[in-house]
Amino acid sequence: MSGVDTLIVGSGVAAAAVAKRLLDYNSSASILMLEAGQRVKMQDAAIWQDYLVTGKLPYTKYYDRAFPERDQPGENVNAGQTSVTLNGARVFTYGGSTIHWGGWSFRLKPEDFKLAENTGRGIDWPFAYEDFERYYGLAEHYLGVSGDSADRTVDRSTPYPFPAFPHTLEDQPMLAALKSLGLSFSHLPIARRGVSEQPSRHAPCQTTGTCKYCPFGARFSANNYIDDMLQWGHYPNLQIRLGAVVQQLIMSDKDTVAGVEYLDTSDGSLKRVSAARMIIAAGAIESAKLLKRSRNAFWPNGVGNGHDLVGRHIVTHPYFIFQGLQKSSNSKKLQPEMNFPTLVCRHFDSVAEQAAGKFILINPPGSPKVDLVRLMQRGIGRSEIDKAVEGPATFEIHGMVEVFGEWTNLIDNHPIPNFMGMPQTLVDYSEEPGFTAQMAKIQSVVSEIFAAMDTTLSGKPSISWRADHAACTVRMHTTPEKGVVNENLRVHNVKNLFVCSNGVFPNLGAVNPTLTLTGLAMRLGDYLS
Amino acid sequence: MFQVQTIAKHPLSDSAPELSTELFESMWALFASIGSYWGTMTNASLHRTQLLNFMANRIKLDPLYLEYYATAAKVVKDLTEKLGAGAYQELFTNTVAGTETPPQTPMGIARQRVSNEFVSLQLALGGFMAFGAVNYPGFICGPNIPGAVPPYRTGAVR
Repeated sequence: MSGVDTLIVGSGVAAAAVAKRLLDYNSSASILMLEAGQRVKMQDAAIWQDYLVTGKLPYTKYYDRAFPERDQPGENVNAGQTSVTLNGARVFTYGGSTIHWGGWSFRLKPEDFKLAENTGRGIDWPFAYEDFERYYGLAEHYLGVSGDSADRTVDRSTPYPFPAFPHTLEDQPMLAALKSLGLSFSHLPIARRGVSEQPSRHAPCQTTGTCKYCPFGARFSANNYIDDMLQWGHYPNLQIRLGAVVQQLIMSDKDTVAGVEYLDTSDGSLKRVSAARMIIAAGAIESAKLLKRSRNAFWPNGVGNGHDLVGRHIVTHPYFIFQGLQKSSNSKKLQPEMNFPTLVCRHFDSVAEQAAGKFILINPPGSPKVDLVRLMQRGIGRSEIDKAVEGPATFEIHGMVEVFGEWTNLIDNHPIPNFMGMPQTLVDYSEEPGFTAQMAKIQSVVSEIFAAMDTTLSGKPSISWRADHAACTVRMHTTPEKGVVNENLRVHNVKNLFVCSNGVFPNLGAVNPTLTLTGLAMRLGDYLS
Repeated sequence: MFQVQTIAKHPLSDSAPELSTELFESMWALFASIGSYWGTMTNASLHRTQLLNFMANRIKLDPLYLEYYATAAKVVKDLTEKLGAGAYQELFTNTVAGTETPPQTPMGIARQRVSNEFVSLQLALGGFMAFGAVNYPGFICGPNIPGAVPPYRTGAVR
């Protein structure tokens, strides 16, 4: 069994950030990343143009298959009352889900670290926002976030590396409505690089609006950054092995992990690699599944699962979309000019809403909906298109709401392997009864905003429970009775095994988790160094 | 270092014949006609190289595109013989050609695999500006530089 100092399972943002931090301290550090997926060609003109004209993305074939239906085999099992969709939520590739993420890079608020103290629900983080704040700054610089350094929505000690993108003209109706209603708003911090005096091998955003496949690599994607380390970093002992599907952890005794067994998809063989320490950075779902299926004499219910917590308390963000029809005309010919939002309202991401579920509201870049391509491809004439552009428009307001972990909600391994060679996923999730009431409140807020936009709310929102922000499956707590990992992300009672994924979050808050995860990865790198 | 990964390659990639000048000129005329029909691009000649690059990339990704382009050229030729100056309008607006799924007839292929893709390309190359915007998905408008004019409409005085 060959060996390395640090073995990292996964190659997404957590893996990339913790590896970078370790290498910053010791450029000769021996690090091996095992990635189940393969490389997707990036920044390729032909692939980009294919996306431009057909909407096809080169990595969707690495999405989870849809749940089985009649006449459609599918993969994975949805066992709960709420369908938490996996298809489209994550990508099994080199670079992980950052290959398709939106780049929204919010900080949690101080009260998010005190959920139990403030509301009596769940558990608190084992440290306070103030203790973690500097890692948010480091993470913003690592991801290349453009944001408003004067924004006091959350206290900060360091500026963003790049200035905020100005609010778009399409933002103006919602922005004016928020102002008139006295609701706070800000620039949406986003991981798209700007222009800097500091030289970088990563290009600035050219506002091209094809962010799901950026032709320049301006939106953070972990594979680009790992490539950068491999090609230019002078890190002689950094390696990555693709097509390596980790099957189980190998324990030498109860408190020591010795290595892993993985399926080498290039030849179908099972191989082993040993490591002095291991970091599981395989996302909230796969990290928990790997721990749980690693059953042995020391850990009969899975490594770290002595208290039946691994895989439990799973949450994600319900993502809602409200639509409204403009009463007057679209005289300014508002139409999608960007592919990422620049306006966010965190007014209800507040202590006052914490017990019921904090939420944020976004003005999406596709609002109002004007689809020139579709109109022209249907053969509609110019005068009719002009009327469509200037006529009453359909506006949208999107958002996310925090929901809370319940012990009964869980993910687990399903014995049948998926197309990647790892066990399929069983999701058992049922939304709590209070969710409907909180959505009704959100609808009343959105209705007021639409009214101030001279727009009529069309009705109830569409709500997606897709597992993009799956979290809390291996929660962090100082005691093994309440958490799977401790405050340093080490699995309780295993001295050399760490988890770095959204799974360690005690709770999710109302915002995207990636910036927080990146900060945790950098903090872990410091701890291990 | 990476382990070696096999790169998928279409078996026809090496043997696909190159785009002929005659075929490109036919497609160029189609592309330019999109601009004149919808008023989205009065002078498309600035984008000849980009169209050629686009077509070459489509063929590289899927060699069948050479056949699609040849089919479209034949369709345009036949329509011109039949309808004269109304040929392109018929191609752009024929309802059956635009909706058959999947496109199987020469007209359907010319519309959906060629003409409609050129519509997308032309809008992204600047055709969208005819409808009042400054930026558009696929248009390389430039970075956000403090103090400079933003690369999209903001509501601020430009």
